[in-house]
Amino acid sequence: MTERLLSPQGQQCLQALMRVWFEFERQLGRVPLLQRLERGQFSKADYCQLLQHWRQQVIEGSRWISRCASSFDRDYSDVRSTIIGHAREEHRDYEMLERDYVAVGGSLTDIQQAPRNIGTEALHGFLMYRAGQPNPVDLIGAMWIIEGLGQKMANSWAAQIDKVTCGDGSYTRFMRYHGTNDDGHMQKLYQLIDRLCQSPAQLTAIVRTARVTARLYCLQLEEVEHEY
Amino acid sequence: MSVYINSTGHFLPGPPVSNDEMEPLLGLVHGKPSRLKRRILQSNGIHTRHYAIDASHNTLFSNAEMAARAAEHCLTDSFIGKRQVKMLSAATSQGDVVLPGFGSMLQAELGLNDIELYNSHGICSASMMALKAAFTNLKAGEQPNALVVASELTSRLFKASRYEAAGTELDFNAEFLRWMLSDGAGALLLESQPRGRCFRIDWIRSFSHADAYPVCMSVGYPTDSNHSQSWQDYATYTQAEAAGALLIRQDVRLLENIVKLGVDGYLRLIAEGRVQPDKVDHVLCHYSSHYFRGKIFDMLQRAGAGIAEHKWYSNLYSRGNTGCASIFIMLDEFRRTQNYKTGDTIICMVPESGRFNNAYMQLTVVEA
Repeated sequence: MTERLLSPQGQQCLQALMRVWFEFERQLGRVPLLQRLERGQFSKADYCQLLQHWRQQVIEGSRWISRCASSFDRDYSDVRSTIIGHAREEHRDYEMLERDYVAVGGSLTDIQQAPRNIGTEALHGFLMYRAGQPNPVDLIGAMWIIEGLGQKMANSWAAQIDKVTCGDGSYTRFMRYHGTNDDGHMQKLYQLIDRLCQSPAQLTAIVRTARVTARLYCLQLEEVEHEY
Repeated sequence: MSVYINSTGHFLPGPPVSNDEMEPLLGLVHGKPSRLKRRILQSNGIHTRHYAIDASHNTLFSNAEMAARAAEHCLTDSFIGKRQVKMLSAATSQGDVVLPGFGSMLQAELGLNDIELYNSHGICSASMMALKAAFTNLKAGEQPNALVVASELTSRLFKASRYEAAGTELDFNAEFLRWMLSDGAGALLLESQPRGRCFRIDWIRSFSHADAYPVCMSVGYPTDSNHSQSWQDYATYTQAEAAGALLIRQDVRLLENIVKLGVDGYLRLIAEGRVQPDKVDHVLCHYSSHYFRGKIFDMLQRAGAGIAEHKWYSNLYSRGNTGCASIFIMLDEFRRTQNYKTGDTIICMVPESGRFNNAYMQLTVVEA
């Protein structure tokens, strides 16, 4: 093992976050839309619907992460730098998602006019609120879930969507893009866990925020199929 | 009350079969050699295994016969004879007959009188479920001993003629297990009193996740189906076979979930205080170690929950993957050949890919 191990507190935190992630994957496995994707009963129209709902989250995602960065004070300026870098990298990802939507046959106006679903409202509301707190250490828990989901999209959903809709990869670019540089992202996350989880209270807060984020993310995906 | 594994036994039919000898024995499908064999064997790392069928596809030992031989091997090493056995707990994925239960057939084969019987049905974790039933029965004081036997005869499913009956093209998922699974049986004797150097069962736990994942390993669904129809829904079994509904399949795309869920269960047991990673002396895991390398295990290492590689023991590579019998065959060979001392902690893990059931057990070496 060449990489540095985490501090004992960081290790406890990583163990707990791994469990939250596995629980999240099981929650995702119970979402009807994703069950259909697994079974191969998933159409291009389903994919369009998914992207339409996802876009709002991607746009809001760049906002809470920027706010999160600005809420860290001077004692955490190193953390602030890392998070600003992350926000800068990802804050226009939604444009790639819009291009996929058009490539699969959707209209740009439709996706741009789509409102946030109630799951997105809840997730966004929660993350913006946490990001506004002084030194929001717990948001590393949210980043853990969202980073993991990015990797899941890239490593499993993108290929499955292409397979069942007979795609050639030309409209799953946004999902696939999140698989690039996995290891670099994981390295950064490990460092942040070590840096930000230094007490049992911080561990509890990080794990709680990870669990809330996971649950609300699922709610957002469950809502993709709800018509009003 | 404590429960002890006082004896173990195994039965592996015939001589070991090497990788090169497999296909001549199982047969060429449509007269052509497999194009996937080498790749699958490379990834599972198995180099020898045993089959209860011969190259003419005669069955040399029935599943119940193999189970009985393993049980006899186990009793030979114990302080009790057949007349003293009070409970028989049996596991297999498929008995020789559809009905009655495998345990009944095994009881008759062994000639055990007046026993309490338990049948466990499933795939790789069926043996652990059978073991748990016996363990809790003894713990509750209902019986003083139990013979737990797990046996598999999957090679009958791998005959070339079976694949030919299911059509022209052989898909990866249907062929995968042909190069993975083989035959064998293992047995454990549980008693509520320790004898000599033996293993105390500290706990057995399992976590099943069938509600959250699709079927990963199956027999009974036709080729390329959405699982709305099973082999029993056809007018005749001939039609079911032609539709590929009698082939054993693994949905390899879903396999990585078994690793994640295996780690998840392990972390839960750590959080519950049942497992203390630094106190574990030996790990016996029913799985190809190939799947246990990679990202999640790096993560486990970083999280301080990893277990050093030299503590892992497996005989999968020489005895083959015998489904639910594997963990008993592994424990038997461990007991007979490995170095361990009084007070050592042994963790056994059986991740089942059928529809994701993971079983764990902790043993402590004691000296009576």
